[in-house]
Amino acid sequence: MVLTARRTEPVTLLQRERALRPDLGLILSYLALSGLGLVMIYSASAPRLLAEGRSPTELVRRQLLFVVIGIGAFILASLAEHRALRMLTPIVYGVSLATLVAVLVLNDDSVRRWIDIGVFRFQPSEMAKIAVILALAATLARSYDKAMRWQEMAQAIILVLIPAALIFLQPDLGTMLVFAFVAVVMVFSAGTTWRQFAFLGLSAVVASVSLFEVGAIKEYQVSRITAFLDPSADLANTGYNLAQSKIAIGSGGLFGRGLFQGQQTNLSFVPEQSTDFIFTAIGEQLGFVGATVVIALFAVITWRLLVAAANGRDRFSQLIAVGVAAMIVFHAFVNIGMTVRLTPVTGLPLPFLSAGGTAYVAMSVAIGLGHSVWMRRSPVPVDADL
Amino acid sequence: MKSAWRLGAVGFLFLTMFGILTLQLWRVQVVPAEDFAAQAEALQVRPVYTPAPRGQIVDRAGRQLAGTRPALAAVVDGSLVPETAVDELVSLLAAFTGLSAAEVDEIVMDARDRGDRRVIMSDLPDDKAVYLAEHREEFVGVSVIPVPQRTYPYGNLASGILGYIGRPDPVDIEEGAKPTDILGKAGLEAQYDSELQGTEGQIKFRVDAFRTVLEVMGEDFPDPGNTLILELDIELQAVLENALREGLELARAEYNEEGCDPGHKEDGTEDTGCPVRAVGLVQNVNDGSIVAMASVPNFDPTIFVAGLDQAAFDALPEGALINFAVTGQYAPASTFKALTYVMAMEEAIAPEGASSVEDEILCAGRLARAELGEGSQQVFQNWTRQDDGLQDIHDALMRSCNTYFWEITYALWDQYKNTDQENLLQDWARQVGFGDKTNIDLPTERKGLVPDRELFETWAADKDPRLDPSRLDFASPWFGGDLFQAAVGQGSMLSTPVQLATAYAALVNGGTVWQPRLVDEIRTEDGELVTENPPTVLNVVEDLSASTVRALRNDLRRVVNDPRGTAYSAFEGFGDNLEQVGGKTGTAEVIKRREDDDGNVIQEAVTTALFVGVAPVDNPEWVVVVIVERGGSGGAVAAPTARPVLQHLLDQPVTAVSLGEEAD
Repeated sequence: MVLTARRTEPVTLLQRERALRPDLGLILSYLALSGLGLVMIYSASAPRLLAEGRSPTELVRRQLLFVVIGIGAFILASLAEHRALRMLTPIVYGVSLATLVAVLVLNDDSVRRWIDIGVFRFQPSEMAKIAVILALAATLARSYDKAMRWQEMAQAIILVLIPAALIFLQPDLGTMLVFAFVAVVMVFSAGTTWRQFAFLGLSAVVASVSLFEVGAIKEYQVSRITAFLDPSADLANTGYNLAQSKIAIGSGGLFGRGLFQGQQTNLSFVPEQSTDFIFTAIGEQLGFVGATVVIALFAVITWRLLVAAANGRDRFSQLIAVGVAAMIVFHAFVNIGMTVRLTPVTGLPLPFLSAGGTAYVAMSVAIGLGHSVWMRRSPVPVDADL
Repeated sequence: MKSAWRLGAVGFLFLTMFGILTLQLWRVQVVPAEDFAAQAEALQVRPVYTPAPRGQIVDRAGRQLAGTRPALAAVVDGSLVPETAVDELVSLLAAFTGLSAAEVDEIVMDARDRGDRRVIMSDLPDDKAVYLAEHREEFVGVSVIPVPQRTYPYGNLASGILGYIGRPDPVDIEEGAKPTDILGKAGLEAQYDSELQGTEGQIKFRVDAFRTVLEVMGEDFPDPGNTLILELDIELQAVLENALREGLELARAEYNEEGCDPGHKEDGTEDTGCPVRAVGLVQNVNDGSIVAMASVPNFDPTIFVAGLDQAAFDALPEGALINFAVTGQYAPASTFKALTYVMAMEEAIAPEGASSVEDEILCAGRLARAELGEGSQQVFQNWTRQDDGLQDIHDALMRSCNTYFWEITYALWDQYKNTDQENLLQDWARQVGFGDKTNIDLPTERKGLVPDRELFETWAADKDPRLDPSRLDFASPWFGGDLFQAAVGQGSMLSTPVQLATAYAALVNGGTVWQPRLVDEIRTEDGELVTENPPTVLNVVEDLSASTVRALRNDLRRVVNDPRGTAYSAFEGFGDNLEQVGGKTGTAEVIKRREDDDGNVIQEAVTTALFVGVAPVDNPEWVVVVIVERGGSGGAVAAPTARPVLQHLLDQPVTAVSLGEEAD
C-alpha cells in the first residue's frame, strides 16, 4: 500500500503548516551506510597504509571530510525549492556537459575521467548523473495529464545520448549504463505508451546489433568489452580481481570473520578494496548477515524514495525521486553483483560506502533531492495538485 | 502520480534486483563457506623450505667420511619478492654476487615463477653475510640461511663408494624432486639417499598479494639425515688406494718407460695399450663386509658440492666417477681356476690321462685336441709356452697350469657333453655367485657372465655381436673349446671384482656365500638405531667338503709361498706371517677391436692383471682382489699391488709396490 499514491485521510491545517517533514527512515539508512563505509574503508586501507609507512587513518580521514561535506550537501538538497530547481535545470545540464567536454579536453591520458582541482579530483560524470535526472524529469513532466508524445520521448533520448556519448569517450561504460537504466525507468514511470516502450526496446536492440555488424565488436568479446571499456579494471587482472573478490566474500560465511579480520581484503588480495570492491570487505568481515543488512539499507532507501515519488507534489518532483531511486538501485546492483560475479566489472562505486569524494557528494545531493520530494510532499492526493 | 501501477512495477523491479543479489550472496557465502576459507588461507601463507643437513657417513671406527659443515647461503624466496621490487633487487644482487644481471634475473624470475627458494650465493663469507643482514631492507625477499655444505674429509679416499651429490636431473624432477634439492647421484650417496636426505624445515610466512611479508607464522626446524655406519676401514682403504695407485704407475712404467696416459677417446688421445685403472677391494670372508674398495683413478667428491663446470668435468680421467669394483666386468682368467679346481675335486673329474686329480700328468706347453671337432678351437697354449713338468692338481693350481685344467675340462666335456651334467662347471660357478648380482648395497652393480650352451644359442638366435658370426654355420654354437676357455676364466666368462671376492670368500670359508655389504647400521644423528643391515647369506654350497677347502687353502698358500708359485716373487720380502698369505694370480687376455685412422679394424691383445689374496690362509678372514686393467701379468703387477694390503692386514710394515716376475 505504501506505493499507492492516494491518501484518503483529510488534510489538516497542521499538516500544511509543517511544510518540511524529514524522512527519518531515509536519513538513518543514509547515515548508517555512510558510517559503515567509513569503518570498512579504514579496515580495508589501514594495513596497506601501515605497510607503506603512512598513517593508517589517512584514507578514512579524507573520506570523513567528504562525508561531512556530503551531509551538508544532503541537507541543502533536501531543502531545495522545486520551482527554482526546475528553472535551474537547463543551467545544471549545460554546466555538466561543459565539464564533460572539459575533462576530455584537459586530459590527454587514455583514461579521462577526472579534473584535478588541487585538493581533490573532480569527476564530472558523477555530476552528470544528477543533471540527466533533472533534465529528464523536467522534460518528461511536460506531458502531464496526457499520453506521452513521441516528441518528448525523442527529446528525452537526446538528453541522455549527448552526455552518454561524451562519457563513452572517457571511457566509462558503467556510467553510460547508469544513464540507460535511469532513463528507461523514468520514461516508463512517466507514462510511455506500450508502443513507445516497445520502440525504445527495439531501438536498443538495433543499436547493439549494428555495433556488432560494424565489426567493432565480435561476439566472443562481449564478455570482455565491459572490462575493456573500463580501464579501471585492468584487462589482464580482471579475472584475478573477480576470483579474489569471490573468494574473499565466500570465506566470510554466515557471520563473517569479524570486523578488521578480513584476511583477503586486508592483505590487498582484493584490489581497489576501499573503492569499487568495498563490498568485498563487508562480505568477508561481516558475513552474509552483514552483507544482507547493507542490501536491506539500500532497499529501505529505495523504498522511501518510491514512497516519496508516490507522494510527490508534482510530476517533476515525482520523476526526480524515481530517477534517484533508479540510480542508487542500479549502482548497488551492479557493484555488489560484480563482487559476487553476477555482473561485469564496470567501476561503478557502491553509493555512500566506496571511498571517493565526488561520488559521495553527488550521491548525497541526489538522495537529498529525492528526500526533498518527501519533505515537500503533497498533503492531498496528487491528482488534485497543480 | 498519474499511474500508480507504474511505480509499483518499478518497485517490483528494484525488489527483484535486491532479491537476486541476496540469493547470489547466499550461494557464495553460506553454501560453500568452508571451501573458500581454505582457498583464502592457501593464498596468504607461503611456506619457505630450509634444507636439512645431509646425514653423515662414517667408517667402522666412526671416522667421518662424509659430513656437513655449517655454511651460510644467500637465498631469494620467489614467493616473497614483490614484482615492483624485482628490477632493483636484480641490480643489487648482481653487484653483490658478481654474477651478471642476466644470470641473477634468471634465478630471481625462476624463483618467483615457482614461488620457491633459490640459492643465489652459497657458502657466503662472513663479511658478505653481515652485509646482507645489515642491508636486509634493500634486499627484498633475500635471506641468509644456513645451508649445510657436504664435506668429504678424506678427499679422494673411498670416493667410488661414497659417490657424489648433485642437483636433480629432469627424471628426478619428474619423480617429484624439487629443482632446489640436492640428491645423491652415485655410490652410497645415491643408494641411501632417502636415509641421508633428512627432512627439510619449513618457515611459514604470511604475505599479502604483493608478496610482502607481514609476519612469520611459525617455523619447523629441519631434521638432519641419518648416519650410515660402514664396515669400511679408512686406514685400510688408504693402504689399498695407495697400493692401487702405485701398482698402476708401475704398470704404466712397464708399458712405457716414460709412463703413459690412457687419454680420452673424445679428443683422440686414447692410448689403448696404456694401463687404464686399478681396482681393488677387501672383503670379510666370514660375513661379506667390504672393509675397503676402490677404483683408481678416482675423484674428490667435494668438487660436486658447489657444482661442477664442464671444463672440470672433462678434466676428470676417463671412468674416474665409476666404481669399477661393482660396475667393471673382467675375465677372471686364472683366478677362476680355483673354482675349476674345487669342481674337479668334488665331482671327482680326473684330467684326461689320469685316474684321479691327485695323479700327475705333464703340464704340456701346448695342447691339441682334434676331438673337439669342427668349429671349435683345437689348439691351446699354456702361458709358459713350454712343458712345465709333471703336476697333480695342487701343483697345477700353484703353477697355474692351463693344460692341466684343460685336461680336466676335456674329461668333463667328453663325459657329459649334451647331457644334463654338461653345465657342471657353470653350476658350480653360479653357486658361489658368478653370473648374478651380489646385491651389494651400491648402485650400478653388474651381473658378470657365465657362458653355457643355452646362452650361446640365444646369442646365435639373436645374432648377438658377442658371438663370432662364423659359428652360425654350425649346428651348435657351443663348442668344447668354449668350455675350455670358461674353465680358465676366459672366453665369454666375466666377473665383477666384487663377485670374484665373494666367490673366493665362499670357497675358502667352507661354502657360505655372503652378500657383500658396506653399511652395517643406520642411526639417527642422535645415535638411535634406525636400521640394522646384518650379514646375509646368499647361498650355502652344500657339496663343498672340508678336505677340499683345506686343500684349496693350502694350495693358495703355495702360490705365494712356494718358490715355484706364480706369486712367489711378488711376495719376497713380505715380512713375517707370509705363510698366512694365500692367493691366486690371473692374466686375462682381452682382444680389443678398434678402428685405426684408415678405418681398418685392428685387433689388439691387452692383458688384465688379476690377483686374489686370502689371509690368514689357515683360518681365512679376508679376501683381497686386485685388478689392473691392461696391467700386464697377474704375477708381475697385480700380486705386488695386493701385497701392501695384505701386509697391513697381517700387521706387517707396508712396503712399496715393486714388480714381480712375469707369471700368469
